[in-house]
Amino acid sequence: MYQYDQFDHAMVAARNAEFKDQVARRLSGELSEDQFKPLRLMNGLYLQLHAYMLRIAVPYGVLSSRQMRTFAHIARTYDRDFGHFTTRQNIQFNWIKLADTPQILEELAAVEMHAIQTSGNCIRNTTTDQFAGAAKDELDDPRPWAELIRQWSTFHPEFTFLPRKFKIAITGATRDRAAIRVHDIGLQLTANGFDVYVGGGMGRTPHLGHLIKSGVPGEKLLSYLEAALRVYNRYGRRDNIYKARIKILVSALGPQEYARQVEEEWATLDQAQIDAPHAEIARIKSFFPQPNYADKAFDAAAIERAKAADPGFARWMRNNTLAHRRDDHVSVTISLKPTGMPPGDASSAQMDAMADAADAFGYGELRVSHEQNVILPHVAKADLYELYRQLDQNGLSSANVGKITDMIACPGLDYCSLANARAIPLAQDISNRFADEGLTDKIGDLQIKISGCINACGHHHVGHIGILGVDKQGEEFYQILLGGRADEKAALGVITGKGLSAEAVPAALERLVNLYLELRTDETERFIDTVGRLGREAFAGALHEPA
Amino acid sequence: MKLLTANRLTDGLVLWYAGGSDLSGWTEDAANATRLEDEAAAALLEEWKARETEVVGVYVVPLVDENTLVKREYVREHVRANGPTIGQTALDTARQHQRGEVF
Repeated sequence: MYQYDQFDHAMVAARNAEFKDQVARRLSGELSEDQFKPLRLMNGLYLQLHAYMLRIAVPYGVLSSRQMRTFAHIARTYDRDFGHFTTRQNIQFNWIKLADTPQILEELAAVEMHAIQTSGNCIRNTTTDQFAGAAKDELDDPRPWAELIRQWSTFHPEFTFLPRKFKIAITGATRDRAAIRVHDIGLQLTANGFDVYVGGGMGRTPHLGHLIKSGVPGEKLLSYLEAALRVYNRYGRRDNIYKARIKILVSALGPQEYARQVEEEWATLDQAQIDAPHAEIARIKSFFPQPNYADKAFDAAAIERAKAADPGFARWMRNNTLAHRRDDHVSVTISLKPTGMPPGDASSAQMDAMADAADAFGYGELRVSHEQNVILPHVAKADLYELYRQLDQNGLSSANVGKITDMIACPGLDYCSLANARAIPLAQDISNRFADEGLTDKIGDLQIKISGCINACGHHHVGHIGILGVDKQGEEFYQILLGGRADEKAALGVITGKGLSAEAVPAALERLVNLYLELRTDETERFIDTVGRLGREAFAGALHEPA
Repeated sequence: MKLLTANRLTDGLVLWYAGGSDLSGWTEDAANATRLEDEAAAALLEEWKARETEVVGVYVVPLVDENTLVKREYVREHVRANGPTIGQTALDTARQHQRGEVF
């Protein structure tokens, strides 16, 4: 993974020293809250419903075991012994003291981490495929390009005060696991360069990104992005926060006109001054080599015997492993969605256990997915059963990846000062409702995504079943959306039926799922495909109890 | 009747005004908060807004039922007063809210 050079170290150290001084001046009263608020937000520190929340960047979701142990240390020492992995591949701590923050940031800097680009109207942490560099269906590794974008975008003077926040996602695989069509800019690596999608996003006015250019060479990526950002920065609406995202501008101009203006701007730029030299791209790529793979012979028959003897292992193998570029390895997803628990939360002990597992079986490397799980991208097949048993001892062996209980849920009203309704307790109720593993496997792939407000941090627009919490005269209500998906066939879900109370939602979903099981052609037809074939209206009635 | 609430500057924790002239008069337990008449609440709000080295985000919470302190206007205030509901089921919390057992 990328290693900081002297510039990275100096940049983060300088920022931390600056923030330490700002915190001291805030505590002494030299800075007012109005003056301090934008400064703390630029360092990832929010004031939430109950306390300060610190959001720490996990650049493109890549973590070392050492960095994961630092998260465990922060959880134990400065928080309430747990952290929350987010849909932006970051981590949040919910009970941080303002006075402790400078010390926490110093400890993060010691392991090459920070909280820069986790807030504010800048280019945020670029996200990517959690299986980057490992997946069998990958054409090219997106991580070096994400790192290149990080270096270009961090503290970019022109793009530090954009009309609104700006999110970029990259995938290099045929299957889109990075949800690129619902990002401000989505980049698809192809054999001919980058396909560039612009104007996607969720929130109160969801849009899918439009393909505005194909085949941008990697060597020209930064100047093209600079042109795209410059057009947005110039014409994006600053008069109305609800119309300030690039999706609104692209929609207003039309994708073709936006693309034309970007081309025009691109032609005026001194591209040689912006684009990274070939040697720099090569230098960054050199930080992302394949691991020094252990040559461990694996006994396929032994794995089959273990699966036969341990049904939990068999299920975990089936649901939580993904084909690797090497036949003797797989990628393993550690589900942070055990039955009845808050999606994406991990205790300090579990963080340490995941770091230990990465050291013992995964070349010291971990990833965070936007689905709020943790991944060991490279695991020798020979080690799988031992890894499973080790994870199982730490409550980390839930075998539900991609299934109905592998939900995304934002922090919702339990923590977030913007939320209108709770998301986590509803996810817990749904998880308990579908706790039967046999039933979950029978249902197959089904993605539920829950947001506690219209800002859509829980990605409800692109859930096969999306759930949006709303405030209805002081009571929590939930709208159900059907038909959304964030993959290479991205689609936005549509609100179906009337809003439901929290207590009505799990039973409504059970009726919905039972109807799907009746209507599907066979067990290979996934929920989203049955909804696509029959139309969401075919399912609307199931959401409400028969009169 | 109203309550005055804020977050403590140093650690961000939720506080409720319980009388007195300094920060020691605030409590972390909403059950011990002072019920304020509208005018008193407005005056204290202005006073504490200016005391930025002690508290941040000061605001007034209206109480719908002055006798029981229970029927809040918003679920948000219920959650803020009682902490995250993680660990309870949504059904339990919905029933609790309907019963009005905020404190």
